[in-house]
Amino acid sequence: MVTIETILGHTGEHLVLLLTTLFVSICISLPLAFASLYSKRVGYVIMKFANLAQAVPSFAVVAIVVPLIGIGFYPALIAILLRALLPIIKNTYIGLSTVNASMLDYADGIGLNKWQILRYIRLPNAYPAIFAGIKFASILINSIAILTAYIGSGGLGELIFDGLVGFNNEKILAGAIPAILIALTLDVIFTAMEKKLVPDYRK
Amino acid sequence: MPSKRIFDRIDSIQLRGVTKKYEGRFAINDLTLDIEGGEMLILIGPSGSGKTTTLRMINRLIEPDSGTIHINGQDIIELEQVSLRRNIGYVIQNIGLFPHMTIAENIGLVAKLEGWDKEKISERVKYLLDFVSLPSEMFMNRYPHQLSGGQQQRVGLARALVMDPPLLLMDEPFGALDPILRKQLQEEFCIIREKLGKTIIFVTHDIEEAFKLADRIGIMDDAKLVQIGTAEELIFHPANDMVASIVDTGKKFKHLDTLRIRDLMTPLDNKYVHAASLAVDEAIDSMLAKDIELAVVSNGNEPVGIVRLPDLMRLGETSDTIGDHAVSVPSFASDELLEPSLKDLHEKGHSIAFVTDNGRISGFLFPNDVFRQLV
Repeated sequence: MVTIETILGHTGEHLVLLLTTLFVSICISLPLAFASLYSKRVGYVIMKFANLAQAVPSFAVVAIVVPLIGIGFYPALIAILLRALLPIIKNTYIGLSTVNASMLDYADGIGLNKWQILRYIRLPNAYPAIFAGIKFASILINSIAILTAYIGSGGLGELIFDGLVGFNNEKILAGAIPAILIALTLDVIFTAMEKKLVPDYRK
Repeated sequence: MPSKRIFDRIDSIQLRGVTKKYEGRFAINDLTLDIEGGEMLILIGPSGSGKTTTLRMINRLIEPDSGTIHINGQDIIELEQVSLRRNIGYVIQNIGLFPHMTIAENIGLVAKLEGWDKEKISERVKYLLDFVSLPSEMFMNRYPHQLSGGQQQRVGLARALVMDPPLLLMDEPFGALDPILRKQLQEEFCIIREKLGKTIIFVTHDIEEAFKLADRIGIMDDAKLVQIGTAEELIFHPANDMVASIVDTGKKFKHLDTLRIRDLMTPLDNKYVHAASLAVDEAIDSMLAKDIELAVVSNGNEPVGIVRLPDLMRLGETSDTIGDHAVSVPSFASDELLEPSLKDLHEKGHSIAFVTDNGRISGFLFPNDVFRQLV
């Protein structure tokens, strides 16, 4: 028998892990993306690393942190982080760097300095891509945060894995349904935020 | 942070021995060019001839490998780049309007960076939109994609004018427009230009556009300035075949609207001039001796009119002077435009006119002869 308190408790744990990881990955990814824009070398290293982290299966990333930093909330956070950085970095970088060249040239020609070009031209043009990256990362985090229950992060994954081990369908659903609802909610929230923050300058 | 107003007006721009190489190839080869304050200089030439490079050196988007550029005697290399650029209006072909900003934000961006307050910016934006014939209340809050190509081009011009720069650099501003729209905008720009009174350097590949708008035209080819001069100078005295082919001298008639009277006048030969005090019979003798049908009657240096030999002979015995029988004819200054003068003569039925230079007669204008020369 799964009580509503159990479900809420696990959902709470899951959300804390999800939101903390999302916040940290945004804080790390954005500066790295900006840095990549101004140094090709840095950009190369960052992209290589992020691509590599993306290529490793999620479950392997989760497993590999155990011998390195043990189990619990923080190891779980780091494992998820490794996977969540890439979509944000890559999308932000692409958004910032694929601004029409003649527009940048013109901005330069009328006397905008580097920071002003970043602030007034590159960044607003990258908003849609940045949002898409964050949205994708949050959904990725939501799914990997299920796996990290294996390394002691708690959360909805714990219910699901318990249920799988004991052939307890009730437990499986008690973990899986909230996870699905969270994924859907994230999508709705980010889409709404994007609409609100990015002016509708395109048809 | 407001940047310094470097110049309120342009007295001169001097390029001296300016050279720029890209991978061993000359983009600009030892260019020396003087631009006068207030003039509109159009640079024209095939693509890759260096005209855009020249333009972009003036706002330092491109730095020369050697040579100097002075504006009002000040070496621009010593000026702060951002201030220099904010003192120069810049208009480009693909307009470069920022798609994520409204029209008002696009126009007001540099003013905002210069620390203007919101009201002053909005006032300036409204003024400029009206100036380029876009009703401000209708366009201020639109995004660029909602405007037609011609409207965007007008916004591009308004944006370049926001800081009221004394110098405008325009890089094929009408190049991307369809021909009819381009003609229309050129005509409007002619009018706007008069009101602006700014020094303008303009790059194009359209010679008709150059003839229509320019005070002087600089022809560039293969990284060099081949010839610079007024439309007529280029048409009538092309430096080489390349210039001739660009200005297309075979079709002078097409450029009738740019010609001035002096280009097609018949220079005055002294044998035509006779004093007003000369007696009619003496004049007849003189004209017969010189084999001329027509004489200019002058009072000192001032032309009073003409007399024709048949008319004088018809007078018979008389003690009159030719001054008494001189027929006055219209007179035009040699630097007046040809086309309106011809129209004027045609309407009044005159077949001859004087051409004067500083009040002194320097030649004749024969409408029929002009027509023959043109075709």
